[in-house]
Amino acid sequence: MNCITPIRLNPVGFRSVFINHYCLIRFNIKHKKPHEKAHPSSSLGSLSAAHQLFDELRQRVCKTEVLMEEENWEASSSSETEEPGFAADDDEEFHSGPKLQFRVGSSKARWVTELGMAEVEVKRGKLWTTTGIIRSGKTYCFIEEALYLSEIGELQILGNEDVVIPLKGLYEMVTEEKSGCCWESYEVYRYLKGLGYILGRHGVPWTSKGAAIMTPSGEGEDSVTKLLGDMQLCDAREVFDVYLPNSRFKKSSPGEPSFVACLSGDSPPSKEDVRVLQSRIAAPLRFCHIAQGRVSFFSFSSINLPILP
Amino acid sequence: MAPRWKWKGAEAKALAEPISKSVSELQLSLAKTESTGSLSSCNVLLAVEPEQAELLDRCCFGRLVLSAEKVKKWIQLSFEEAFYLLYILKCIKLSRQGRFLESEVEIWMYMRTKRPNFPVFFKAYSHLRSKNWVLRSGLQYGVDFVAYRHHPSLVHSEYSVLVQSGDSDRLRVWSDVHCAVRLSGSVAKTLLALHVSGNSNREDLNLPTCLGNYRVEEQTISRWSPELSREDDETTSPKPKVTNVSNLKTP
Repeated sequence: MNCITPIRLNPVGFRSVFINHYCLIRFNIKHKKPHEKAHPSSSLGSLSAAHQLFDELRQRVCKTEVLMEEENWEASSSSETEEPGFAADDDEEFHSGPKLQFRVGSSKARWVTELGMAEVEVKRGKLWTTTGIIRSGKTYCFIEEALYLSEIGELQILGNEDVVIPLKGLYEMVTEEKSGCCWESYEVYRYLKGLGYILGRHGVPWTSKGAAIMTPSGEGEDSVTKLLGDMQLCDAREVFDVYLPNSRFKKSSPGEPSFVACLSGDSPPSKEDVRVLQSRIAAPLRFCHIAQGRVSFFSFSSINLPILP
Repeated sequence: MAPRWKWKGAEAKALAEPISKSVSELQLSLAKTESTGSLSSCNVLLAVEPEQAELLDRCCFGRLVLSAEKVKKWIQLSFEEAFYLLYILKCIKLSRQGRFLESEVEIWMYMRTKRPNFPVFFKAYSHLRSKNWVLRSGLQYGVDFVAYRHHPSLVHSEYSVLVQSGDSDRLRVWSDVHCAVRLSGSVAKTLLALHVSGNSNREDLNLPTCLGNYRVEEQTISRWSPELSREDDETTSPKPKVTNVSNLKTP
């Protein structure tokens, strides 16, 4: 029986299967008929036969597990092969974990404390078609955008006296929650960006033709002020507009988001929370639960089951 | 989620014999024979003719108690099922310890003392039943009920139902949500939360008429997987992990 080259077998899973099958064989051997005496040579023979059987089983298990792994990979990476139009630079956003290839930051932005945003000074790559907002012809990005691009080595943020703000400094800005983004929001941002989705802060237009960049308190009715103000409340709130991966995304006409990502804090949103949010947002809502670095998305949708005949 | 019919002719059969029709037949039959169930601390035992047992099964009320007796059949009904037949369909009567129970209020109070959440559960049950959905116990799936579009022999259940009321502490932490959704998904059902509200005054609950003051709101809870939906996902619900039902053979 041919053995398929195993790839990325989960060692724990394999071990447990190993033990299960080994026990199975042990069980079979122990329950030989009573009149068959345990003869040294025959027991050796049966033991080697057991080993042979076991090896066969192990190889079969390897094959099954490998196929399962392949299927999982195919499911998760299918969009990579089916979207040839996607900009080459953005391919790196699909990868995560050890496969991530970092480039030395080629874009540059300057952090403007009064705005709570970074003004982009040097743009490299097509990633800017889906990141940052445009005001008076200039591009600005929020802390989550700046941090994400810094993490993947695409951007350097300059602080006072042209000193590059290190990642540590950017992380601190997020955890301090003074720039409109808390850590949970950032986890959501990073996770979805890594999968190729396009995210913008809810309530903040991608472009604002003719308008100069305003201070956070002046920018839009709810968005930034609300985000900055509601940080401590932990009530359910809308955070990001999320768009499906789209190589033809245009900030000038982004269209309607696929959904709006919301946070509800420590506990699931109450029925009332969902109702209030949905009443002011047309797009579907998805509530994010962030724990142990994992992000899960849940929909709580009002329905009305039909009256059946 | 579209209904998953169990075999090729199932949908047509369901259309030909709507649940509402079966329920009407059941109602007439039981009323005619003045069927009386005996109320115990946790359920109701109803003695019926074999044809009535068949009708009850067609509408999915109760469970048949297997016995050698051929003349009469014994059906075990839950409080919700029994009270629905008694109070809504008005086709059975109840007795307790040999004494015939005239008063619906007395029965209601008795059931309430045995199960404090009975009013809320009954409201949820009758809410879906009156829309002609078939409800069965959801214990196997870790929920309160499972809801079918028609008889379980014809269709897979679409929803696993959890009853929520104002003061209940279900699904109050995220791990509960993860758990309930995962359980439902692994058996290819959508989690349906029925929010029952109203009747904040405890006193009102003493009368079954309080049922009129309840409001039921339906809410589905589902998990979305960003890895699987990047292509072109118009809907908000995740692609269900279902087995391919077209392979199921006709029973």
